[in-house]
This record gives sequence, structure tokens and C-alpha cells, in this order.
Amino acid sequence: MSEGNISESNVSNPGGFNPRHSIAWRLAVMFAVATLVVFFLIGFALHKVLGHELDRHQQEQLNTKYQVMEYMIVRSHTTEHWQHVTAKLDALSPADGSTQFWIDSPDPKYRYGKPTDDVARLLKGPAGIGEIAMAERLYPMRTEIGDIPANEERPAVRFMVGVDSAPYFKTKQAFRLALLVLSSLGAVVVTGLGLMIARFGLKPLNKLSQEAGELRPKNLSQRLQLSRLPTELSQLGASFNGALDRLESAYQQLEGFNADVTHELRTPLANLIGQTQVALSRERSNGELVETLQSNLEELERLRAIVNDMLFLARADQGERATRLESVSLAAEVNKTVEFLDFIMDEAEVSVRVEGDAKAQIETALFRRAVTNLLHNAIKYSQAKSEIVVEVSSEDRHGVHGVSIAVSNPGPEIPREHLPRLFDRFYRVDSARANSWESHGLGLSIVKAIAKMHNGSVFASSQDGITMIGFSVAGANA
Amino acid sequence: MIGKAVPAREKAAMKILIVEDELKMAEYLHRGLSEQDCAVDVAHNGIDGQHMALHYDYDVIVLDVMLPGLDGFSILKSLRAVKSTPVIMLTARDRVEDRVLGLQSGADDYLVKPFSFLELLARLQALTRRGRVQESTQLHIGDLHIDFLARKAFRGGARIDLTAKEFSLLAVLGKRQGEILSKTAIAELVWDINFDSNTNVVEVAIKRLRAKIDGPFKTPLLHTIRGMGYVLEVRKEETGT
Repeated sequence: MSEGNISESNVSNPGGFNPRHSIAWRLAVMFAVATLVVFFLIGFALHKVLGHELDRHQQEQLNTKYQVMEYMIVRSHTTEHWQHVTAKLDALSPADGSTQFWIDSPDPKYRYGKPTDDVARLLKGPAGIGEIAMAERLYPMRTEIGDIPANEERPAVRFMVGVDSAPYFKTKQAFRLALLVLSSLGAVVVTGLGLMIARFGLKPLNKLSQEAGELRPKNLSQRLQLSRLPTELSQLGASFNGALDRLESAYQQLEGFNADVTHELRTPLANLIGQTQVALSRERSNGELVETLQSNLEELERLRAIVNDMLFLARADQGERATRLESVSLAAEVNKTVEFLDFIMDEAEVSVRVEGDAKAQIETALFRRAVTNLLHNAIKYSQAKSEIVVEVSSEDRHGVHGVSIAVSNPGPEIPREHLPRLFDRFYRVDSARANSWESHGLGLSIVKAIAKMHNGSVFASSQDGITMIGFSVAGANA
Repeated sequence: MIGKAVPAREKAAMKILIVEDELKMAEYLHRGLSEQDCAVDVAHNGIDGQHMALHYDYDVIVLDVMLPGLDGFSILKSLRAVKSTPVIMLTARDRVEDRVLGLQSGADDYLVKPFSFLELLARLQALTRRGRVQESTQLHIGDLHIDFLARKAFRGGARIDLTAKEFSLLAVLGKRQGEILSKTAIAELVWDINFDSNTNVVEVAIKRLRAKIDGPFKTPLLHTIRGMGYVLEVRKEETGT
């Protein structure tokens, strides 16, 4: 029962806090990982798009500012006019320096702004879009440089607009932070949700294992409720129930077998104990004591026969195979067995006819034992003056492969439902015969064991007043 | 009854060592074999057993496989290094491996528990060649005369009409006259059937043979030893079995 308890605790705690062994936890973690991967990919793409858009936006801003001022500068053609331009530039330059203008020209009158060395160098460079790091600024400035041709008094000038890119970088930074925080939060939420979903989804499995955990050897006919199971699990449940069916029948057979063994052993044991006690309960003559001992010996021999046969069957069960194989004529072997049983067949007034022949690899002692049991069984159930037929055939017959040996005898028909169980241990169709001395009900199970040891099988049929029981041995060869 | 199993044909006592840890079995083997006029020593564990087997001379050694101290195979191995005393192994399991191991390591024979005392006796005699069957061509038991060559039997001068198998049975019993033969042994000697057949073939055969050789006569020669087997011999007084 301790094993039962162990398995029960395992089964009834499937969602327990052992993430390695919980499907729900594993699913939740997998969900979280999947979510993080998806968020990361989407985030990365969004980040790219955003960067691109911000870039474009900044460009436009820069361009607008440039064009507004360019228009004014182009039109200014006098010094007076230039005053307006510088006033306008002053007005457009915010105090925080986030937008700055520089104008360079050969005539110092037409210059604007106080270019640092870096700016001056840039201002001398080619026209177009550029970028410059400013000593006092955290982020670089984006710049646009253009040449404006001379107009009357005014010489040609070089005009440069600089826009601080801090908002651009700050937006991107904020976006990254938000993405990170939201992704993590999302992963946590998905983990939680995933766990809930997985647990909910696995509920039928839980129930199934609980049900399975409640199965007890005492209640062998109990089965899992298939109708309540989802389709994915109903097949598992069905196979599980199938295994239970087989287990139940094996268990019942074993239980019956144990009961039969106990019964078979109990009778001789009871006789032994009883008659020995009676013998010892008062003074006995030598003769009486000898008789008790002899009777005891008979019972003991009976016990020995049962124990030896059980050992034989146990060895066959453990998969022992016939080893000392010889290729012999089976009809000859059958005839030797018939010769052995000649006296009791004579006594029972039955005759035997052996038909057909085949060669096969067999262990002769085992083969003779099987044939003896079959013939003995046939003799027991035959009426006087009847004929037993032993048919040796090398073709696949009676639904078995290999070489078959079938023993038929006229006799009372065995009801169909008994046929498959004829080879069960201690099985008797006629329970009244239960206590005959020679047969303890293992004869046909020994035939089955011997067939198995030769990779063969057994068969039985009973119709039209003929009962046929036989076995096959595999590995026929010419 | 067992006292009659082996006639005192051999004068020199057979010296036997029994190495068996189970006290009851050692005790009955000791008793049974002593009553067969054997000189029996018993060792109850492997170490004593090995010591005795190596230091004294025995005609045959009965050796259990499972022993405290030192197992039967080890004893056999050390014994075989110096001597070729015949050894019968006793084993509780009749697995093929046990047999192979036993015979390969130099055992001369093996018996699977539970075995019958008669069988052990027969094997011991076979190993020491002391219980040899009589190979003469003629045999007289009381007024029963068996002619093995002509395969004929007479009692009180009259021919007894026997079938071939009946004669084989009589011959097997006759050649071992005075020795109890178990049903299993008879089945093996007469029909070459070497397994427990759980049939009453031998009983039926004996019944028939008895009807022919003892039926018409006053003194029975074929006796049943209940639970053990059959014996063919002249008995001075019937004890009622």
C-alpha cells in the first residue's frame, strides 16, 4: 500500500510548486519567453520606424526654418534691409539656443552669429545637411548650409541653420524605456495569464489523474469516465481503460489461481496433519504406524507433483525456452507416447489412430509430456469403444502456425465459453471431477507451457460430439 | 522397508559425505544411508564440508548448492583441483543455468529438491557402480524363472504368457530384485518416459503383471510399497502390506 500512497501524492499535486515538473508552469514560462521575443522584435521595428520618422520631422523643421530665412536673405539687397534680416534672426533664435543661425560673408557687415572654431570650420565646408557637436550641448545640432548669391549691395553669403537634436534623442530614449517596461510588464502579465490558461486547460488532465489515483485493487472494475474527457485525452483514457481491463483479467486469474493452489495444497496438507494427529493420539501398533506413514507418503507425493508442475509452469512463464532441440519425426514420438499409455487405453477400452507426420525441432521429453497430457485427457473423457485420433500436420491449421498436433476424441461437447479457458491452470469444465488423484488440473496448462517453450500455441474446439485439443510447435523444417 | 531396498550384495561399506545445512534433510539422509550400510559423515556448512572433502577419502559426496560459509560450486571447484571423487549436487532450483554450472564445474550428477530418497539412492549406486544391475541371462526368484534371452518367464514350471511390455516390466523389476523401484523409475526404465506423467500407467501395468505372475499362486512375489513403489522379491512372511 505504501507504493499506492507515493503515487497518489504525485498524482494529486500536479500543479505543485515544482516548476520543472509542472506542465502549467512550463507552459507559462514558454508563453513569457515567446511574448518577450515578439515584443522585442516589434519594439525593434517600431524603434526603427520612430527613428526614421523623427529624423524626417527634424529635417522638415530644419528645412522650414532655413527656407523662411533664405527667402528674407535673398530679397535683402541693402544694408538697411540687412538690419531687418538680423532682427528677424534674433527674434527666431530662442534664448535656450535650441535653434541657431550663422551667416558668413567676406564683408564682416554681413555676418551673423558667433561661430565657434568647430562651427567656423563647418561653415567653410560644403553646403548641405550636416551635424555638429557643440561643447555646451549634450546632443549634437543638425545643420543645413546654403549659399545665397549676392543681391545689389549685399555680397554673396553662406547661411547656416542649426537645430538642437535633444528632443529627438529624448523621445527615442523615452520610447525605449517605455518599450522595455511595457514588454516586461507584458511578459509578467502573459506568464500569469498563461499559467491560468494552462491550469484551466489542463483541468481535465488533473481530473483524469485524480480519477486514476483513486483506482484501488479492491475495486478492480472501476474505470475512467471517458464521456467527460476532451477528445485529446479520451484516447489516452481508452487505452488506460484497456490496460485496466487486461490487468483486471490477469489479476482475477492470478487470484483464482492462488485460491486454486491454496485449495489444491490444502487438501493433502489437511489429510497429512489430520491422519498424523490421529495416529499419534494413542498407542498404535507398528503396522498401523507404517500404514499412516505410507498414506502420508502418498499425500506428500501428491504435493510434490503439484509443486513440481507449478515450478515447471513458473519457468515457462519466465520465458524459459526448449533448449535440447532435435529434428525428429513427430508421429514416431507420438507413437512412443501411445505405447506408454497403451495399458490405460486398454483398460478404458479406447483405441488410438495416428494420422500424418511432420518433422520439427523439439525437445523430445517436453513434447512427449505434452502429448501424454493430451492423450490422457482424451482417454479420461472418452467413452468405451471409441477411437482417439492424433493428427500431425505440417500445414497451418486450426488457426495456428507451424506443425500442429491435434488430439480428437468423441465425447460430451464442451460448451463454447469453456473452450478458451481449458488451458487455464486448475480449470475444470466439470467441477465434480475436482479431486481425482492423478489429475490436479494442470495437465493442459502444461501443454500450453510446452507449446510456448517451442514458440507454438494451443487450440481447442468441440462440435458434433468431437472434442479436439492440440498444440503447435514452431520451427518446422524438412 | 527401506532396509530391504538394497540387498547386502556389497560387503565393503560405501563412504559418503553429506554437505547439507538443512538439519532435517541432513538428519534423514544420514539415517537412511546409514541403514543402507553406508558410512556417512555430515557437514553442516561449506567450510567444514570443504575441509572434510579435501582431507578424507569418500566414495561419493552429496553436496548442497546453497550453503552457509562457502557455496557448493566453490567446494566442488577446490575439490576438483585435487580429486575426482564423484559428486551429486542438490539444488532447490532446476534452472538450466544451475545445471550447466553444476555439470561444467565437474559435478557428476544433480538432483532437484524435492527429490525422493529412492532416487538419490539409485543415483548414488549408479555413480559408485555398486548397485549394478545383474547382467546374467537367467534369473530365479523363488519359483519364478526369467529367461532374458528368450524373453520368456515361467513359474512353477509353467510358461507365463506375457506381452512384450509386460516382460520388459518384469525384466526391469527382476534385474533389480529386492530393490524398491519408484513409479517414475519404472516409467523411465520401461518406457523411456523421464518426467512425472501424473498418470496411472505404472499401476495398471503392475496390476496386469501381478495378475499373471502372482494371480494363480500362493506366495506373491510382486509387492507394492505404498507411496514408494514396487519390489520383486521372495518374502518369508507377509507383513500385511
